[in-house]
Amino acid sequence: MITGQKTTIEFNDKIVRQFMLASLIWGVVGMLVGVLIATQLNFWQANFGQAWLSFGRLRPLHTNAVIFAFVGNMMFAGIYYSTQRLVKARLASDFLSQLHFWGWQLIIVAAAITLPLGLTRGKEYAELIWPINIAVTVIWVVFAVNFFWTLARRNEKSLYVAIWFYIGTIITVAMLYIVNHLSIPTSLLHSYPIFGGVQDALVQWWYGHNAVAFFLTTPILGIMYYFLPKAAGRPVYSYRLSVIHFWSLVFLYIWAGPHHLLNTALPNWLQLLGTTFSLMLWAPSWGGMLNGLLTLRGAWGKLRTDPVIKFFAAGVTFYGMATFEGPLLAIKSVNALAHYTDWIIAHVHAGALGWNGFMAAGMFYWLVPRLWNRPLHSQSLANIHFWLGLTGILLYISAMWASGITQGLMLSATIENGTILKYPNFIETLNAIRPLMLLRVVGGGLYLSGFILMAYNVWRSIRGAQAVNGTMEVYIEPATTKDNLGVSGTFLNAPVIYTGLILVGSCVWMFTSGWLNIVGLIATIFSTLLAIGHFQTRGTSWSEWYEKLLVNALPFTVLTFLAVVIGGLIQIIPMITIDRSLQTEDRVARVYTPLELAGRDLYVREGCYNCHSQMIRTLVPDVMRYGDYSRLGESIWDYPFQWGSKRTGPDLARVGLKYNHAWHYDHLENPRNISTGSNMPSYTWLITGNTDYAALSSKIRVQRMLGTPYPAWSPAMIDTIAKEQAKTIAKELRTQGRYVDADREIVALIAYLQCLGKTWEPTSVH
Amino acid sequence: MSFGKPSFDSRPKNENPKSKIAKARPAPVRDSVTTINADGSHHALFPADVHGRFTSWRRYSAYLLIGLYLLLPWIPINGYPAVFLDLAERRFHFFGFMLAAQDVWLLFFGVSGLGFALFFLTALFGRLWCGWACPQTVFLDHIYRRIERWIDGDAPERRALKAAPMTANKFTRRVAKHFLYIVASLIITHLFLAYFVSIPKLWLYLHEAPGEHWAAFLFVFIYAGLLYFNFAWFREQLCIVICPYGRLQSALTDDHTVVIGYDATRGEPRGRLGTPEAGACIDCNRCVQVCPTGIDIRHGLQLECIGCSACIDACDDVMTKVERPTGLIRYDSHQGLMGETTRWIRPRTILYGVLLLIGATVAAFAFSTVKPASFLVYRMSGAAYFVGANEVRDQFMVRLVNKRTVPATFTISTEGLPTGVRQSGFNSAVTLEALTESVSPLVLLIDRKDYTGPFKFTVKVSAAEPAFTLSREIEFMGPDARLLEEEDHEKGIKR
Amino acid sequence: MKPSPSSSEDSGIKLRDHVYDGIQEYDQRLPNWWLNTLYGAIIFWVVYWFVYMIAGIMPTDGAQVDAEMARVAAVKMASSIDVTNDDTFWNMSNNGVFVDAGKQTFNSLCVACHLPSMRGKSENPTAVGPDLTDTAWIHGGTPKEVYHTASKGILDKGMPAWEPVLGQKKTAEVVAYILSHHKKGELITVQEANK
Repeated sequence: MITGQKTTIEFNDKIVRQFMLASLIWGVVGMLVGVLIATQLNFWQANFGQAWLSFGRLRPLHTNAVIFAFVGNMMFAGIYYSTQRLVKARLASDFLSQLHFWGWQLIIVAAAITLPLGLTRGKEYAELIWPINIAVTVIWVVFAVNFFWTLARRNEKSLYVAIWFYIGTIITVAMLYIVNHLSIPTSLLHSYPIFGGVQDALVQWWYGHNAVAFFLTTPILGIMYYFLPKAAGRPVYSYRLSVIHFWSLVFLYIWAGPHHLLNTALPNWLQLLGTTFSLMLWAPSWGGMLNGLLTLRGAWGKLRTDPVIKFFAAGVTFYGMATFEGPLLAIKSVNALAHYTDWIIAHVHAGALGWNGFMAAGMFYWLVPRLWNRPLHSQSLANIHFWLGLTGILLYISAMWASGITQGLMLSATIENGTILKYPNFIETLNAIRPLMLLRVVGGGLYLSGFILMAYNVWRSIRGAQAVNGTMEVYIEPATTKDNLGVSGTFLNAPVIYTGLILVGSCVWMFTSGWLNIVGLIATIFSTLLAIGHFQTRGTSWSEWYEKLLVNALPFTVLTFLAVVIGGLIQIIPMITIDRSLQTEDRVARVYTPLELAGRDLYVREGCYNCHSQMIRTLVPDVMRYGDYSRLGESIWDYPFQWGSKRTGPDLARVGLKYNHAWHYDHLENPRNISTGSNMPSYTWLITGNTDYAALSSKIRVQRMLGTPYPAWSPAMIDTIAKEQAKTIAKELRTQGRYVDADREIVALIAYLQCLGKTWEPTSVH
Repeated sequence: MSFGKPSFDSRPKNENPKSKIAKARPAPVRDSVTTINADGSHHALFPADVHGRFTSWRRYSAYLLIGLYLLLPWIPINGYPAVFLDLAERRFHFFGFMLAAQDVWLLFFGVSGLGFALFFLTALFGRLWCGWACPQTVFLDHIYRRIERWIDGDAPERRALKAAPMTANKFTRRVAKHFLYIVASLIITHLFLAYFVSIPKLWLYLHEAPGEHWAAFLFVFIYAGLLYFNFAWFREQLCIVICPYGRLQSALTDDHTVVIGYDATRGEPRGRLGTPEAGACIDCNRCVQVCPTGIDIRHGLQLECIGCSACIDACDDVMTKVERPTGLIRYDSHQGLMGETTRWIRPRTILYGVLLLIGATVAAFAFSTVKPASFLVYRMSGAAYFVGANEVRDQFMVRLVNKRTVPATFTISTEGLPTGVRQSGFNSAVTLEALTESVSPLVLLIDRKDYTGPFKFTVKVSAAEPAFTLSREIEFMGPDARLLEEEDHEKGIKR
Repeated sequence: MKPSPSSSEDSGIKLRDHVYDGIQEYDQRLPNWWLNTLYGAIIFWVVYWFVYMIAGIMPTDGAQVDAEMARVAAVKMASSIDVTNDDTFWNMSNNGVFVDAGKQTFNSLCVACHLPSMRGKSENPTAVGPDLTDTAWIHGGTPKEVYHTASKGILDKGMPAWEPVLGQKKTAEVVAYILSHHKKGELITVQEANK
């Protein structure tokens, strides 16, 4: 029924062009950095002795650039292009759009400057320092306002599935980002996160996992739902599948974060939720993949010729592979072998190169002719890009799979009836995978060259071309026909009530004991049966309500928020409200001495966590290699936690006093002094740099605010204590034949390394 | 078997769609998947029998592949099975060639080489792999479907049997069929396990209580269960819904890629025999009846098509019978079907060929440089170096691995040491049993007065039979020589 | 955007009415088996949670690894001896099998510093290691102390820890070989560690 007045609108496609070009440029930069650091893993000299080019500092730049700059800009381009058309309205504000664009680019530039300087928060994909965090939050809010304002002015009252995914993305990323970036500044450039130890670990991977989910997956799924049927010229395969997989995906994804911490000291119930919800995630993920693929099905013949369809088909396929591998890796026994190895690197690159990169390419090739009103410069270059990219992925992933499995098997190999490690030297396992690291560079390089071909192709296509903005004839939709559901309409309906009942029932069952437990179980089963009965007898009643929900943006958003917030609340609230003394497993670490704290911040600055874990898992090979498994209380005062996620080098949780100071000095000066064949950078700048004693008093003040039991030292006392310890260590180094000034950074770092695993006292005397 | 008379009307299109349950699904369409019913249930297919040259060739090649699969673990080469992936020992045997844990990275060439070869083949022939060599197709078509054909009869008989009520006869046939499915699954599983544990060990497992080897037992149980489920019921769903490789292969085709296609120019408009102005296609639906994934090849290249060539043989058969030229459905490229020429040599195929060649060369080189031994020199735990009253000392361990299956004697030597360096009590010859490792200390001392700072030197390991030498450059570490000088000066020691 | 010409009406597949910027939607089902994997995963979660969190049938990860390490320790002990018992070492030092095995290990590894004669610096002042045949000990001369030195090493001085390399049994054999050069009950002295 047509109610409104007819008018022609012109879309704001300028912002789409801007974001698209930014994505292309940052994509090249991010991948170039990736190839550089992959080269450094083979040739440690490839950092040219420069601190700001060293692996530990550039790896965060690579991940941040690819996630937030490349995919971020691509996502904004896709969202802005499709949303305007799907809701038949021009973007609400040109000013906000421009603010969004330039603000985001400025943030990226700031990141590209601060990360190489070693200014970091030391949490993966959340490294940017607090002033930039604030900027990101502000710009994200600008994006959200611009988006929801546009929704409010829409002339298409019903929301298409792509819009659902965009809504999920915007609110969830805001929630995740803000919670994981809560910190207290110690200076203009440095802060400590407000969570420490296991709490920080949990919050970090709740964020880290769902950054993958809601930054790299849901927006791209939304983009898929618009661009793929457009390019294929086919109807979407299944609407009901869209409904099922959207809601199950956003609800389940949040819970799976703890699978990044399997077999660690993380409490068992959380690990268990991580594993089981990851397994549940398989079906919703594949629902999205299959909806895309079966939509393409009717246009399969186009795969022969159309590069856009090629990229989409392959992208969706890689999404399927990565989301199959994910649940597999979330199984504890598989994880035991694969975690900390290159297998994980293979897994994430199947997603990043295959899914994100290829979906971006498909979208760009589709957009260029439409945004500049001129055919693509060269179809065959685009095809070559596809083949190069696919070859690159093949090389990259097979190299990293082989590497991960080789190293995993070697690290757990034992002899003498399982009593001795077969390869006690970590370096031996590194040597075995060195050739694969080289082949990874080849694969990544091929992929990058394909990407550069695309950039060139786009440049040739748009050079001298006239940018055009899309227009559309629309009927103005009066406000009365949409957004009128109200509170009762939103919540008081069968799907929401039954879901709520089942959730409450199962939580009671999970988290109580005794008779309440039984009550919870009965309530869950009863409400499930009731729900099944209801929908069986009432047939399509849920879809009638859902159609109503679809013309109501705010209720839809509220329900989406509820779906994504529940998992986090249930996992995180108990962990941060519980008395910390209950999370120690009988080992309470002492606080770090001021010098150790300074050393720890250096450890964070240099990004040591990118290659070294501090978490001995509850696994026999780990315990045999590194010592007794880590307990929660050992990292209780760690702001941020440094459990790590990758072992390019060995675990350091118990490295303290294993070697003498001179060993560390020689090793940091040039790791090959000690370990022949090591690929760790030489940290010569630590020998010349001076420890920042002055910052310590404000750092310790913040630590005290966070609950770390430091005595009420005066700044002068802190200074004295730190310098005394530095002198002692320097003296010991001197007796071991290493002359170094006590105030150098290397002394502080050695102080920290030597206390690892030594900061707790057994509560009972052995 | 009703082959003599091709039935032209087995699934009439105009049959009342509501008359029968999901079984009588209408002809395949582009908008949906034939094997998924409207209510989401699985639409079981009954592909009709087909005879012809491709069918025969496919059968021979499948028997060859199945034979290889079953036999490889039994053929001993150099004392080990032809293919033996010894996970427990982290050793991998391929046709007499052994990879130790340190060499496992070479498996990369296996994985990526297979990938490249398939890229190359796919660019030329589409999903050849799926139809001819994939274990899913080979086992399904040439073991499980053969069992089914034997017990349940041809397609109409199978369909009738399924619709029939459960009788003693049907029950017996069902039990027999599934029993044979399970036996086949168990055989395949046990042979698969044999690739990882070897036949003698497998034999041992089979003769001891399951509790003794519960992990292996569990593996067999689960794996055989999966195979049984897959081949008895799941079947084409794996190719259509699960397998990523089929999709990537489709994306690797182009207009010159030879795939199975229907010659619409010749065939259309379709019409029963005798229809005026009709094309070559008599719309007999034989191509649909024989399709194991339930598509109509006349809709063009489709997601489901595994390139099994059954429709080619079926159509050729019909064309021969109605005395029209065969090849209405054939292996041809899009270009070919459009009446143009297929280009075999195109930039892509050249590129893949070249890349394949490069890959093969690099792999050959890498494999040829795999030495029958490997060694590693590392510092003994403790400090990088020790400064004594009279000397500077570095201590290393040489870890030596004999990767051969026979004992071998190795000589360890050093090269490039400055004068004044002593080696302490160092055993220069080491004899290692087959597939064993050893560590030997290498202690180097230099008098303080001769010491001028750190230096590099080379450790060499060599063997006589077969002759080879491995070397590694190592650094002798020590303090800055001036520090020693100062220290000696303070103590009044004359240098 | 139209569905394919090949008769979607015939197949009974309905398009939804709504069109979004030209995009239409079918409302077809995915296979039931796909949906069943989701239900299966939910059931798995319930069972898994019940077994671990509610019934408490399974040991915790920490307990599991402790038990496994205890098994490793037991295997070590079974193939070896009580390393805190001096008499055991003395008995071993009188057993030719142990001593010969220890000698073999000694001659392939320890000789680098302690010389084949085991006399180290006494035989040749430029040797690295001290004399192991005399009664003067630097790090304790009772058998269990000697074992401790050999297994854990004196890292600062360059004596490596041998147990991680050799295992307990072989290390003990070496100690037996050293003790075969000594007499039980002989007078031993512990020197200052400045040698």
